[in-house]
Amino acid sequence: MSRTLYYIIAFAALIILQLLIFNNIQFSGYVNPYVYVMFILILPMAIPTWILLLLSFMTGFVIDVFSGTMGVHTFATVMAGFARPWVISLNVTSEISEPEMSPSSHTSGLRWFFIYTVTVVFIHHLSLFFVEVFSFSNFFHTVLRVLLSTAVTTFFIVLFDIIRPRR
Amino acid sequence: MRSLLNFLLRYKTLIIFLILEAVALVMISSSHNYHQSVAFGAARSISGFVAKRIEAGHSYFSLRQVNKELVAENLQLRRLIEKLEAVQKPGLASVSDSAYGIRYNYLNARVINNSVNKQKNFITLDRGSRNGVTTGMGVASSTGVVGVIVGVSRNYSVAMSLLNTDFKLSASIARNDYFGSLAWDGRNYRYAQLSEIPHHVAVTEGDTIVTSGFSAIFPPGLMVGTLTGDLKKGGDFVTLKVLLSADFKNLTDVYLIGSLTRLEKEALEEEVKNE
Repeated sequence: MSRTLYYIIAFAALIILQLLIFNNIQFSGYVNPYVYVMFILILPMAIPTWILLLLSFMTGFVIDVFSGTMGVHTFATVMAGFARPWVISLNVTSEISEPEMSPSSHTSGLRWFFIYTVTVVFIHHLSLFFVEVFSFSNFFHTVLRVLLSTAVTTFFIVLFDIIRPRR
Repeated sequence: MRSLLNFLLRYKTLIIFLILEAVALVMISSSHNYHQSVAFGAARSISGFVAKRIEAGHSYFSLRQVNKELVAENLQLRRLIEKLEAVQKPGLASVSDSAYGIRYNYLNARVINNSVNKQKNFITLDRGSRNGVTTGMGVASSTGVVGVIVGVSRNYSVAMSLLNTDFKLSASIARNDYFGSLAWDGRNYRYAQLSEIPHHVAVTEGDTIVTSGFSAIFPPGLMVGTLTGDLKKGGDFVTLKVLLSADFKNLTDVYLIGSLTRLEKEALEEEVKNE
């Protein structure tokens, strides 16, 4: 399977999962998992940053259009895309030899993938929830929502990473 | 020139990042009055189409509950007819006074997209301008007030949910007619807050809260919820906690309420204000 096709399928699958299943999880308003961020996480290690940013923008925009939240997801996903190279450089492992490689627990270890996922997802959720509320009143209420949702999103992304087909 | 180019190349990632975030922020800020934006009309049609398909599957799971609510409402309407007939019987059958005329018309609609987990929740309905929906119409379910229409396309309309921190509703205590402003604080989707109730008003838990009808979006006396404990005292006014009677988590069928006299009322009020 060609690399591009693999990512197109992954993109479509994550968007559909998000819209049909995860958008309907409304656990008392505190847990809103946004697993579509996984698409940004699994892009090749050495992808040029400007392409990463444009893909982030596109991903967020598609989610925005279908959930009627103009710009909120776009903002958060671009933020996550911008943070990704920085997060990777923070905990590089010697295993990253192939630039084409997709970050995964299979190649870099579960511990590495978990730290990488939790950091990017946290940055995404933090900007998402604060931009959505657009104020710092109820600050701790929003922080609690961010933390709980980050935990659930991370759980699902790591799970999906373990079961996803490897190319 | 050359150094400028070098500068741009060196910081191209940062510049692209800032441009994309700026675009996103413009999108967010323009979405606050997005019912006026035509650009997203097409996008709304597509997402409305998808949401409708999803809703078609969902709706089968709540038929029993919907039936129960409809039977209860029919019963209530039957009682109302009985009461009215009793009043009208003694020879008053043909009163042609506009005061007895119809002030509100109703339209049924189906909820095809809804959320309760955001701070600014919106509800998408399967009726649009083709069916006579206009912005400013009220939305209610058989159990209580739900929201107000803020955007209309040809086949769909979008209502601002009562569960939206921008939503304000003039509501009153049914027992003694004291009115206040009802809003949602963004926390629990079952409760809203009724503020501006004077300090001296005696309230008890379980008091019924209804629409006041002052805004003319909703007819007066429409069910909103019931009071629960937790009074918050501050100065001359108290804020009361209201258990909403509409269950936003399983909304399926709703009514759109259009006031036939709202524009006339608002024009008159405006005229007097300007004098």
